[in-house]
Amino acid sequence: MTCEVKAKDRTGTINPIFTCQPAGAQYASIGIKDCIGIVHGGQGCVMFVRLLISQHLKENFEIASSSVHEDGAVFGALDRVETAVDVLLSRYPHVKVVPIITTCSTEVIGDDVDGLITKLEEGLLAEKFADREVHLLPIHSPSFVGSMVSGYDVAVRDFVKKFAKKGAPNGKINLITGWVNPGDVKELKHLLKEMDIDATVLFEIESFDSPILPDGSAVSHGATTIEDLQATGSASHTFALNRYEGAKAAQLLEKKFKIPAVIGPTPIGIRNTDSLLKQLSQATGKPIPTSLVKERGIALDAITDVAHMFLADKKVAIFGNPDLVIGLAEFCLDLEMKPTLLLLGDDNAGYVNDPRIKALQENVDYPMEIVTNADFWDLEDRIKNKGLELDLILGHSKGRFVSIDYNIPMLRVGFPTYDRAGLFRNPVVGYSGATWLAEQMANALFSDMEVKKNKEWLLNVW
Amino acid sequence: MPYHEFEVSKVIPERKLHAVVKGPGEDLTSCLPKGYLNTIPGSISERGCAYCGAKHVIGTPMKDVIHLSHGPVGCTYDTWQTKRYISDNNNFQLKYTFASDVKEKHIVFGAEKLLRQNILEAFDAFPEIKRMTIYQTCATALIGDDMAAIAEEVMAERPDVDIFVCNSPGFGGPSQSGGHHKINIAWLNQKVGTLEPEITSDYVINYVGEYNIQGDQEVMLDYFKRMGIQVLSTFTGNGTYDSLRGMHRAHLNVLECARSAEYICDELRARYGIPRLDIDGFGHKALGDSLRKIGLFFGIEDRAEAIIAEETARWKPELDWYKERLQGKRVCLWPGGSKLWHWAHAIQEEMGVKVVSVYTKFGHQGDMEKGVSRCGEGALAIDDPNELEGQEALRTLKPDVIFTGKRPGEVAKKMRVPYLNAHAYHNGPYKGFEGWVRFARDIYNAVYSPMHRLSAIDISKDDYETGKGFVTRRMLSDADLSEDAKASPITGYTGKFDPIPDLRKKTDYPVFARRVAAAE
Repeated sequence: MTCEVKAKDRTGTINPIFTCQPAGAQYASIGIKDCIGIVHGGQGCVMFVRLLISQHLKENFEIASSSVHEDGAVFGALDRVETAVDVLLSRYPHVKVVPIITTCSTEVIGDDVDGLITKLEEGLLAEKFADREVHLLPIHSPSFVGSMVSGYDVAVRDFVKKFAKKGAPNGKINLITGWVNPGDVKELKHLLKEMDIDATVLFEIESFDSPILPDGSAVSHGATTIEDLQATGSASHTFALNRYEGAKAAQLLEKKFKIPAVIGPTPIGIRNTDSLLKQLSQATGKPIPTSLVKERGIALDAITDVAHMFLADKKVAIFGNPDLVIGLAEFCLDLEMKPTLLLLGDDNAGYVNDPRIKALQENVDYPMEIVTNADFWDLEDRIKNKGLELDLILGHSKGRFVSIDYNIPMLRVGFPTYDRAGLFRNPVVGYSGATWLAEQMANALFSDMEVKKNKEWLLNVW
Repeated sequence: MPYHEFEVSKVIPERKLHAVVKGPGEDLTSCLPKGYLNTIPGSISERGCAYCGAKHVIGTPMKDVIHLSHGPVGCTYDTWQTKRYISDNNNFQLKYTFASDVKEKHIVFGAEKLLRQNILEAFDAFPEIKRMTIYQTCATALIGDDMAAIAEEVMAERPDVDIFVCNSPGFGGPSQSGGHHKINIAWLNQKVGTLEPEITSDYVINYVGEYNIQGDQEVMLDYFKRMGIQVLSTFTGNGTYDSLRGMHRAHLNVLECARSAEYICDELRARYGIPRLDIDGFGHKALGDSLRKIGLFFGIEDRAEAIIAEETARWKPELDWYKERLQGKRVCLWPGGSKLWHWAHAIQEEMGVKVVSVYTKFGHQGDMEKGVSRCGEGALAIDDPNELEGQEALRTLKPDVIFTGKRPGEVAKKMRVPYLNAHAYHNGPYKGFEGWVRFARDIYNAVYSPMHRLSAIDISKDDYETGKGFVTRRMLSDADLSEDAKASPITGYTGKFDPIPDLRKKTDYPVFARRVAAAE
């Protein structure tokens, strides 16, 4: 077998690929309208995550902290949550949903957030905010378990668990996108519209990309409503596009409401988009329209221009969120490229049983490594000390110095991509995403050819 | 007290004591907000944690060091690549960050063995690096790992390495300021005095509270070298670990950011008798006065005067070009801890702007004392501001520009207020005579951005002058200037995109004869 899956062989992390669970829960929470989360822990757990999100999207999002100080760490800090809920609700009259997101410190000291929520529902909410619709829910996201990816997964499940209600079948599907960008949601909704499928999208985050308005009134926030979340219990199917970011919610809906769950494929590349459309068609009985045949053809036309001429046999390293990495690797193979190193930044035990990874192991005909619990040193050490040769890197901005210091072109993709302008606006999913990815990879290689004067004249007649 | 009550904070009355408006004739006895008190939970304060105050602000700018955080990866990831503290060793400290990657089993069974293995792995990965700092996080503080004991073990095992341990978990205090204090004292207790430096000048200083944001430290070092002063260490920007172990041999501590680093200066004075001199690298006058004070201390005022004369002649005309065009522009000066007082007076005097508000996220009352006294009547001073108060202030004050952090800058952007990064700068360095002109240039570029003017227009309603393909900044900024001013051959900033590489190449520093033999 030439494709090996192994865990990082060091205990520590040199330049982490992921941050921790509370960040994922926070990213999910901002997708919900009238929702401001309270992160129960030290202030840095919020301040830096808000900074991170603002670096990526160039927008500000509101997330609160319970501001646990030393006394709270010693004597328990539930009183900080009580105050935080009161202060937040008092000052933000539109807020209806307040997830209490735990962190390592408050999980270690064992604060009973679930019990507190019951107490607040019976006390504070019933007394002081009786005329308000307010929903509190706990999201347990200790930083020492999983990663930002599982934090996102857990949070989506907990939101669905809190709100989903069985009603009359609403003729909709649930589409759980996973951790994506506004551009991805736009493309997915476009595909659904062409298919004439009505969907509840978790989460509606196109509005993350918000305007400057003349009166200065715009605020960036997600647009998924409580009603949307409630309606997930009345859907015909749930499509969770990402196995590691949203599948938990799909499985919950299946178990609790008997709503069939379709997990994957992550619609990156032509083939995975095809699969998604076929599955959507099978589930809903709606045909795939000719408009999408044409869009697919435009994508294939564009990709044909670059694939076997420029992309073929190019060796690629890919890092980031697991479904993204796997989807990109699959697409690269269709593009005749050679993904040689895949880095998954956490220790999820499910990776070894992922059918997509197994398929890679069975079919890849050149040496490929898949490293779990990986860090950026797993990439750099191979380049610097172990002779790994790469033509391209695909991944997010935290890996930028590997590209810079070793002169390997890099296409920024995933979260976060703060060192390039506007990438969140472009999709990587769907036919448009496939076109964008293939063309941007080609352009990255073109620029590199010119900078290094490496057959740069090739493009004279292309 | 002329306290200011925000509409949005009426439901949290204790906030009223945290904001004041400076009225006519008022001074600090009648106009001073509370500071450095516990944060109100749920207020959406902008404060960070004591871990970041120690590790991110002060520890990490040290350049030849493996910076290892003992905890889950999040603290490490989140504080990585969010600042611009560069160094002249290819930015090792910006590029590499280390986490012990504590997982659930370590929380249950302890993470000391894990830490030990981490330390060895990290040194093995970077064999040329022999120094390390280790930072506690919330999780490892709560499980009670003895990091110091592990560090001692490794140092005994590997005599060529040296390790510093900082116990400053995120929950330790109301803000990042608690971490500043802890790491100051920890460094002094553990490391100062453990290495004897070589003294090469009659005039020896530590440059303290300077983090080399976009090259600030290197700009200032250039002046010190031109004065024949030996900078024994910089705490900590572009500083080396070993040079900071020799801080006890300086003749003078020259302190820049008093908020984050006065503690170590005060202790160096108490323990080693080294005097503390507070200086200011921002602003032509303040910087000139600072160099003079240092010159005066050592009896080499003439050397300071020569630099001031040369630099002022080169850069003052360009600064004045901006001053003429920034007259009366309203500024919200909303930095982290100390720039409110480093900048308030200097930008008003030298750039002509008006500071309409100052705030501090993690400053103490002492910072507010200086900040309030250095801004004019009507200025709104806010301690530990929160999201809604910031928005209310922007709506009522209508500033032309705001200096604040990256994320609050996004809030301002939506409210149509141009923003400059007060922590990491837009296109710095901002220290030094040239740097100050760069700051003025950035303010000018923000205020007179043609795009900014366009954003005020509601295309569905407002009148519009069609047929105009562009507007330049000069067309906007010079519209009301006198003909003389418009005709002046002076222009704005004429320096390079990055002035630092030239400084790094510079070798032609004057050699001054020593008064005493080096051996003494």
